[in-house]
Amino acid sequence: MDIRKVKKLIELLAESGIAEIEIREGEESVRISRHGPPAPVQTVVHVPEPQQGPSAAGPSPSPSTATAFSEPLSTGAPAHERKGHMVTAPMVGTFYRSASPESPPFVEVGQMVSKGDVLCVIEAMKIMNQIEADVSGTISAILVENAQPVEFDQPLFVIT
Amino acid sequence: MHQRWHLLYLLADGDFHSGQGLAAELGVSRTAVWKRVRMLEPYGLDVHAVPGKGYRLGSPIELLDQDRILLELDSSAKALLTRFDIYFETDSTNQRLLDHHAQAHGNVCLAEFQTAGRGRRGSRWVSPLGAGLCLSIGWCFDSFPDSLTGLALAGSLAVVRTLRAFGIRDVGLKWPNDVMWRGRKLAGILLEMRGESTGPCHVVAGVGINVAFPITRRPKIEQAWVDMVSILGRPISRNTLAARLIGELFAVLSAYQVQGFAGVRDEWAEYDLISGRSVTLTLPDKQVYGRVIGVDPHAALMLSVNGRVQIFTSGEVSLRLRS
Repeated sequence: MDIRKVKKLIELLAESGIAEIEIREGEESVRISRHGPPAPVQTVVHVPEPQQGPSAAGPSPSPSTATAFSEPLSTGAPAHERKGHMVTAPMVGTFYRSASPESPPFVEVGQMVSKGDVLCVIEAMKIMNQIEADVSGTISAILVENAQPVEFDQPLFVIT
Repeated sequence: MHQRWHLLYLLADGDFHSGQGLAAELGVSRTAVWKRVRMLEPYGLDVHAVPGKGYRLGSPIELLDQDRILLELDSSAKALLTRFDIYFETDSTNQRLLDHHAQAHGNVCLAEFQTAGRGRRGSRWVSPLGAGLCLSIGWCFDSFPDSLTGLALAGSLAVVRTLRAFGIRDVGLKWPNDVMWRGRKLAGILLEMRGESTGPCHVVAGVGINVAFPITRRPKIEQAWVDMVSILGRPISRNTLAARLIGELFAVLSAYQVQGFAGVRDEWAEYDLISGRSVTLTLPDKQVYGRVIGVDPHAALMLSVNGRVQIFTSGEVSLRLRS
């Protein structure tokens, strides 16, 4: 797994308030966990056969990155939440939390959703893609601001 | 059928019909006829009432006719069609198909009038009854959504091919998919997609074409627009137009399934109105000024901004006047 991806995951964790995430890619898996303040930060990164080469030269998770974890969280889940299901962007585009500028957001943090509920719209080249929840649960984090560009595979929501 | 639609059928030819004759046909009083005539006005219809002659529409309307459209539909499109509905009035043809999106593959929906016709991000699509064509088509792709980013541009080519078949030249496309004629908007396309982020993708492609807007009761539309009849200077059959458009849309969707945007990128570039031009791109939070390089393999807009190429997937493009 690309070390840049690991770094992105750590940043994500810092922003989101998720206590622990585990990502699998084929044979490889990464689990990143932390404890809420005031406990000291523990970051566990297991990457079997880390890739060598140019990507390894990129910035790696460091204590200074990890200190951000202890910052207070605004829209995160409670620190005791252990796991979350990630909804990611299926395409590049612009992320919208509502159907139109006048309408209310599809979902808010803390809201229960059922599989098939619309969570957001991603617009790309005038295709309005209504992204559905692929599991039922509670929205524990919204990771992108309204009307911001998103990349392919960028995490958007955490459902617990 | 609601009696106001029955009345519209009787008036559609544009000839005068006496109040007495209409009352007999509808089985109501002459006062009731008058009331129903008034009920047609909110749909943007221009109904003339002339004492001694009766009622007539300001201009005749060829109402949509399912049998006739099916008769004119080419055989390959007919083979792909799984369901075909025509509404007199509905909120939005796209919404009709999105409501049962998982079963909408090959469905076609038309409406004489949309009460909530829409464009992107809450903007409205306005079309008086019978003055345009409001058509939606459903399609299911097994592929991932990121391979479908060029679909709206491909859809606009289906519209261009249809318009050209009616003899309209000078049609161009403004990224991503506005169909323009000499700087004025002639048709719009809105694609809406539903599905889990991992697919399959249920796509509804909605097309609005301005066909023949009434001269006396033109709707207020913020941008410059034009209709087909004004360009051609002759009436056209909306049913023939519908059949042709359905055929072209099915062809584009089937081809996209196999070839993706690569299959139409060159054809799209032929109609690209903004390549090489200086434009303003309006985004939700800012405006970007640059020169258009073209579209990338994912159909995103490539802009040269202060000498650097930037890629955009959304935004409204407007041409900048030369300073």
